[in-house]
Formats: sequence, C-alpha cells, structure tokens
Amino acid sequence: MAIVEVKDLFKRYGDVVAVDHIEFMVAPGEVFGILGPNGAGKTTTLEIIEGLRHPDGGRVVVDGIDVQRSPREVRSRIGMQLQQAGFFDRLTVDETLQFFSAFHRRALPVADVIHRLQLDEKRRARVDTLSGGQQQRLSVAVALINDPRIIFLDEPTTGLDPQARRALWEVIASFRREGRTVILTTHYMEEAQHLCDRVAIMDHGRIVAHDSPRGLIRAHAPGTTVSVSPGGGQVQFDGLPGVRTVQQANGEIILITSDPLRTVQALLELNRSGQVNFHQLRVEEATLEDVFLHLTGRRLRE
Amino acid sequence: MRGFWVTVQMGLRMYLRDRGAVFWGIVFPLILMTLIGLAFGRTGSPTFAVTVVDQSGGLLGRGVLQGLRQVPLLRVEEAADIDAALARLRAGRLTLVIVVPAASSTDPIRAYFDQARVTDSQMALMILERFVAEANLRLAGAPQALRLQATGVAGRIEVRFFDFLLPGILAMTVMQTGLSGVTWVVATYRQRLILKRILATPAHPAAFLGGLVGRYTLTSLFQMAVIMLVAVLAFHARIAGSLLTLGALIVLGTLVFVGMGFAISTVAKSPEAANLLGSAISFPMMFLAGTFWPKDFMPKAMQPVIGLLPLTPLVDVMRGVATRGDPLTSYLPGLAYLAAWGAVSLLVAARRFKWE
Repeated sequence: MAIVEVKDLFKRYGDVVAVDHIEFMVAPGEVFGILGPNGAGKTTTLEIIEGLRHPDGGRVVVDGIDVQRSPREVRSRIGMQLQQAGFFDRLTVDETLQFFSAFHRRALPVADVIHRLQLDEKRRARVDTLSGGQQQRLSVAVALINDPRIIFLDEPTTGLDPQARRALWEVIASFRREGRTVILTTHYMEEAQHLCDRVAIMDHGRIVAHDSPRGLIRAHAPGTTVSVSPGGGQVQFDGLPGVRTVQQANGEIILITSDPLRTVQALLELNRSGQVNFHQLRVEEATLEDVFLHLTGRRLRE
Repeated sequence: MRGFWVTVQMGLRMYLRDRGAVFWGIVFPLILMTLIGLAFGRTGSPTFAVTVVDQSGGLLGRGVLQGLRQVPLLRVEEAADIDAALARLRAGRLTLVIVVPAASSTDPIRAYFDQARVTDSQMALMILERFVAEANLRLAGAPQALRLQATGVAGRIEVRFFDFLLPGILAMTVMQTGLSGVTWVVATYRQRLILKRILATPAHPAAFLGGLVGRYTLTSLFQMAVIMLVAVLAFHARIAGSLLTLGALIVLGTLVFVGMGFAISTVAKSPEAANLLGSAISFPMMFLAGTFWPKDFMPKAMQPVIGLLPLTPLVDVMRGVATRGDPLTSYLPGLAYLAAWGAVSLLVAARRFKWE
C-alpha cells in the first residue's frame, strides 16, 4: 500500500543523534512534508531514504525495494533534488539536463523538462549566469528528468523570493496532479500548509506529530491564537474566558482560545481599567507554527 | 557504462570553454619552451665557447682538444697566449679557458670561468668534469683509449637543444594536467556537491570517474599535438621516434598523473588546498626530473631523489623515443616504475575517495 515505508530509523554522528527512531509511511500520489527547524534531522532522514546515507538502525522500503539492499535500483525509480547541490558552471541548462539524462536508463525529452520548469528562455544560458530561482528550477528539472514516480525535494524554496517560491509551488502541485508522490522538507510552515497532504513535524531527530495540516491544528492548536505584548502589570492570563493554553515566546504572550470574542473583550477590559498595558494585540487563526510552538515550546524560526 | 561518454563529451566542452585549462595546458608550456629554448639553445650547437691553451705541446694536449671537439655542446678553439684568452673570458666572449700543463709538470688541467655567469659556467664545467672523468677512466684501463672514445662520441646523433627540450615539455604538461588540473577540478566538484549529485543517479560512479580520465586523456593528446606542431614549425624541432609511441606514452602518463591527482584531492579539504598540494609536488619535480636540462646538471647528492620521482622515467623514455627513436623495450624498468606509481595512486584514490 505505502510507496515509502520508514521503520524505526536511527542515525548518529558521533555523540549527536541525528535521527532518533522515527517511523512513517507515505501513500502513493500524496505530497508528504517533513517540517522542522534547521538541524532537526530532515535532510539526514531524506538522504537515508534516497540511499545516499547508511542508517545505524531501522529499515526503509521504497516502491517495494529495500533501500539498503539495492540503493541503485531505488535511485532509478526516484528523482531527487539535493539541497545546495551545484552544477557545472561551464555547461548550459540544456547540456546539464542532457548530461544527467545520460545517467539514467530512461529519461524524458530534455526540451519537455525545460518547458515544464519554464526555463525555455535560459536553455542556452550557462549555469553560472542563472538567478537563484532559475538554478533551483534547474535542480528540480534534474529531479524530473528520469520521469520518476517518487520525487524528493530537500528545502526546494529556501532562499527564494516570494514570487519564485509561488512558481515552484505551482510546479510541485502539478507533480501531484500527475499522480507522482512528492516528499519534501521545509522549514516554512506556509509551504507545508499550502502544499502537503500530510506533514510530519520533526524536532531534535524525532517526529513529534504527523497528520494532515488541518488534523495537526485540530489536535494540537485548536481554536484561535491571540497574541499580546504586555508593557507592564501582572495578569493571570489562563483565568481569562475561553483561554485554553498560555505560551510565552519572544516577549509575546500567546493565548489559544476557543472563544476569541470573549477573550479579546476581557483583554480590552483589562487594558482600559489600567491593570495592564498592551503594546500590540493580534488575532489569528491557528497555523502549523502554533502546532510547533505547542509541541516544542519554541518557534520554527528563532 | 551509462554516463561514461557523456562525461567525456561534456568534459571536452568544458575544457574548451575554460581559458585557465587551455592556458596551463598549451600556452604556459609553449612560453616555457620558448624562453628556455632561447636561453640555452640560442646558438644551436655548440653552445659554450671554450678556448684551450696547450702548454704540453704533445699527446695530452692534442688528446684533450680532439676529445672536447667531439662534445656536442662545446665550441672549441685553440690559443697560445693565456693572458689574451683570459681577457676574452673577462669580456664575456668565452665560457671557459682550459689550460693543459706542460707534459713534464705535475699540475692539473686548469679551467678558468667567469664567476659572474654562474649558470653557463656551471654547465660548461659540468660537461668538462664529465669529460675528464671519462677520459681518466679509460686512461686507467687502457693507455690508448682516448682515441677510441673520440670515435665513440662522433658516432652519436646530433641532438639540438629544442629536440632535447620538446619531450621534457610534453611530459611536464601531462604532469601539470594531473597534479594541478585534476586536483582542482575534482575538489571543486566535491565542494560544490556535484559529485554527490552524480552519486544520486542510478549509474555506477566508476562511469563518471572513467569519463573524467577519458576527458583528460583526449585533452592531453590534443595539447601534445599543438605543442609539437609549434615546436616543429617555429623552432624546427626534430622528432626521431614514432608519434604513435609518443602518443601511447602520453596516455600512460595521463593515467598515472590523473590517478595521482585523484589521490591528492582525497587528502585536501578544499579546492585551494588541493591545488596548492598538487603544485607543491609538481613544481619541484618539474625542475628536478631532467625536464628542461640533463639530470646530470643537478648536484650529485640529489641524484637518488631524482631517480625516485615519477616524472623522471616519463621524461627519460619520451626523450629517448623522441630524440633517438629508442624502442620502448630499453625502458622497461622505468615504465614499470611509472605504472607502479599509477597503480598505487589509483588504489589510494579508490579506497579514500570521498563523494562529498
């Protein structure tokens, strides 16, 4: 059933445990995200699944094949985009794709792949003249060249401007429409929320939760978030109407409430009576960021 | 071997677009050949003007004169007056003045040289010392050997300096490609995760590394052809041996030094460090291995070291083939030694090669 199966995966570098006994499954045709801060073990996990690293324990099965036993057979069925991997400066976009297509048993026509990634204008341009967004699209093009059923993308939009990021999201969504399975890592919660059918939240080498973005929010951050920056005074926030949890991060107090209207009214009352001064007050629907905060006590990007 | 040919093909394109590689592989060797050729080979042969003042008036003086005249690099004249000869030496018109003492005296043969012109003097003295040593050896064994030796030398093929220099330059270029070019390229591919990206394909990694070797073999042959063409057309260098044999030697040399380049790149942490390490090895070797001038010119104490350098046998065999048309069979120990360097390097590279 599952196209990717990860069982009890464990990896350490010296004394540092990078991946701490994690397990998950990915269904065919789904976009699966691994969300977590830098250093959470996302890339290590991905590279073990791709057969580029050996785990110290556990097992990975991709498309019915044991990765450790036949890594090259697995690599012929998957496409991967590696974080920060460069290409030959002195080759053009076209030549780079020709080069990588020759390393595969079967490959899509280079011109088609170039068109898919909107690189037509840059076809004959040398790789060292491409912008960051174009290089990233080339990197995804290389992942697509062998027409794989499963595509791995390691932080595909890191460092891109919002426009380039949106363009790449559209490409990833099109992979999903074609029935390909996509596994991606990211530390952008908007990206996970926008693209992924299911998300595994990873922190310190562990998967602390995994479900659909909506399921995660329902389970770990139900309700609405009210954030305030208090200037002075002492208040027992957890006694306010509707408030379920109180968190503190970066000088802000974050309240998760099941009744935002009454909570905000109570806060404004406190402010008017002079018991406490607020510099700022924000009301937001809960996001994966709140889920992460709730589960780890920290923000994704600090 | 999926990936092999595309690596060769794209590698050649990258080579032709890389001005640095073309400079170090073609322009730099040509500049070196021109400068060294003009510095040492300007008068063709003979190179050093030597005046002999014969005070013996007999067999010894005539023997020395006759012997020296057979040495290809010397232009020998006879003079009667020491002071006049020394004056010409001071004026820079002679390299050596040799005085053969009277037969009755026990004085040694004296050689005067110009202390200001160190290189020329050293070389001429070296030739003279060797000549005296050989003559002594023969005199000790058989009194009449001087005459015999003279015929022996006369039988040799005349080798001009450019003919001598060309195979050395070719061997040096092959070494440079491996030790400076490959180290830099492989370390850069590693640092920029290009090697990792290639490992992420289903092809066998040996296809890519083999493709790199293929690329460097072809560029080395191309570089050899260009350098030879310039040497022959511009400097009238003559090549006695077969071009096919020379090409085969270039291929062997490329395999050995590319292997060394792979091995060096596994030790260094960055492309800069790899390149520096490669140059630190190749630079002294370039001057010691008899590339530009005969190894005998280097001090005796260094000779054992020179014999161990991997470039030395390559220079020797290429020079033997190019200048005299020697068969490869006369160089089997050297070729085996060279191949051993290649085998060890490839073994080290295969065991320690890191993809990221």
